[in-house]
Amino acid sequence: MLLVEADGKALLARHGIRVLPATLVRQEEGFRPEGPGPWVVKAQVPVGGRGKAGGIAFCRDAAAVTEALQRLLGGTLRGHPVTACLVEQAVAGAEEHYLSLLVDPASYGVRIAWTRAGGIEVEEAGELATRLAPPEEGAIQAAAEELLAEAPPRDRAALRDAVAGLARALLRDGLLLAEVNPLFLGPDGAVAGDAKVVLDLNLAETRTDLRDLVLARPEAYPDAVRKLEEGFDYVELDPEGELGLVTTGAGLSMVVVDEMQAAGLKPLNFCDLRTGQLRGDPARLVRVLGWIAERRRVRVVLVNIFAGITDLGEFGRLLSDALDRTGLRLPVVARLVGNGAAAGRAELERRHPEIAVVDSLPEALARIAALRAP
Amino acid sequence: MIASLSARTPVLVLGLTGRMGRAHAAHMRRYGTNIVGGTAIRADAPAEQDGIPVFADVAAAVAATGAQAAIAMVPPAGTRAAAEAAFAAGIRLLVTIAEGVPVHDSIAIGRAARAAGATWVGPSTPGLALPGRMKIGFLPDVALCPGDVALMSKSGTLSYEVGYRMAQRGLGQSLWVGVGGDPVKGVRFAELLPVFQADPATRAIVLVGEVGGVEEEEFAAALAATPDAKPVFAIIAGREAKEGVSMGHAGALTWGEFGTHAAKQARLTTAGARCCATVEALVEALAAG
Repeated sequence: MLLVEADGKALLARHGIRVLPATLVRQEEGFRPEGPGPWVVKAQVPVGGRGKAGGIAFCRDAAAVTEALQRLLGGTLRGHPVTACLVEQAVAGAEEHYLSLLVDPASYGVRIAWTRAGGIEVEEAGELATRLAPPEEGAIQAAAEELLAEAPPRDRAALRDAVAGLARALLRDGLLLAEVNPLFLGPDGAVAGDAKVVLDLNLAETRTDLRDLVLARPEAYPDAVRKLEEGFDYVELDPEGELGLVTTGAGLSMVVVDEMQAAGLKPLNFCDLRTGQLRGDPARLVRVLGWIAERRRVRVVLVNIFAGITDLGEFGRLLSDALDRTGLRLPVVARLVGNGAAAGRAELERRHPEIAVVDSLPEALARIAALRAP
Repeated sequence: MIASLSARTPVLVLGLTGRMGRAHAAHMRRYGTNIVGGTAIRADAPAEQDGIPVFADVAAAVAATGAQAAIAMVPPAGTRAAAEAAFAAGIRLLVTIAEGVPVHDSIAIGRAARAAGATWVGPSTPGLALPGRMKIGFLPDVALCPGDVALMSKSGTLSYEVGYRMAQRGLGQSLWVGVGGDPVKGVRFAELLPVFQADPATRAIVLVGEVGGVEEEEFAAALAATPDAKPVFAIIAGREAKEGVSMGHAGALTWGEFGTHAAKQARLTTAGARCCATVEALVEALAAG
């Protein structure tokens, strides 16, 4: 998962990367920026290209800071609500470099990328000069030296320190990406102007510090917090969505969302229930149906389960239990395929005859379209 | 090693005495897989389970059975140790099914596989199959159907849906490999292209991809560089994925322009693959071409 800038910087700072003094602001009211200015106001959302999307404002005076905060807070940026902004002193007269370490899956190593021409355009430039190294701090430093041969001699020591800090962060915190853009290079050395850090949630079980970092900011990471607390994936895509999904399997659930959108339906959520982990307990289904029912615009619920291993007979019983327990009033369309599908279907027809049980996804789409028609 | 798989390939189940290991060993045997032994989860395991010999460790199992392939049915935290032991014991093909293996553990497993010259499939995969003959993993029988289309997929469930709808349309698979949904893994899409190209039983290739990572882009580059490539049909899940958030699979993560649906589709299309927006369109295109 991608961390917001403030958390990414805090993590990198623990490994020796210098960051600018900044204030995290959750509401504009009463906030006065410190220092002489100018300032930069940045929306704290986990997306790339915030500058181009209008999420970063350069502010000459305090009034402009207030205005930027009013504009950004409470809005959304590329699908994410803006619940906090970082207000930072603007840096003048420094060069803007780009430096990143990225796990390289094809070589089982680390890809180091650096350029003197950092800043907002580098994200579109695509091809950067890079080097590959095995996942060891010394090897990363050695490979980075080749790139840094192109750097001005006065900057090399600071860049080496920055590489060392990012390498420690990547290897010791098990990251997928540690990127700084811009990395300001001035007479005082290198300072991170931004941070893009991709965390491995699979480490959350053993690394409570990383887990706590995510749990501390539920407003920024509602989907990741839910995954850590519940043990499965439920991502709200559109709070105004009309179609609640109870689905399993990441790829199939994504395609169900894609096909719904293409058909003009508005899905509320992505859901990878992991039916193999239900173990005879409807609790997980009760949770999902509850979240769906909380959203006022939802008109229909689709249950789509392709069972490789899961016994659909049991799933039909658990779904019936969950529907009884939640008292869901929305119409439900269900498609069950695979292991025990006939038993699952019989169970649903017996206990919830109001459910439309269908055989195929196209048929489910047609039923949903008919149900939501006025 | 994938190219030389057959129903005779001797296969071990690592973690045979666990709940998953026991159940899936039985399924695999019924399907035709030559399960020759397994390893125990606990020290007090019996010498045999359901007629399959149980060994103390993978080295003893390989020495006694001559196994070439293995499947690790162990939890994510134990996957790295199991994999390293398997490669050290001489296993040539290892499938690891666990979801949730830390990425830097996967880097270590990948390096161990490469150093041993062995093939690793996984993590977070339902495995692979020669439909109608054998499978290593738990690809559901209802989706497996012998035929002439090679199928590779990041997602388990989406590949089941594709395989199932292919079977309903009278189409089947020559070889099926689930590469898994993690960002760092064993066999990648691009590495399977030469295997499928060289396989006389394969007429066409289906790529079931999803957003995140660069595997589809790597495959596109390999495809563009392959003369007389077999027809490739692709579906990429996650056109509507939310940026910055893992969509179920750890690897299904986009940020900025990285890993997006548009980038993958453009590269695959330019390389000559036919990208389909729905499962139905994919199956129809396969049937027609």
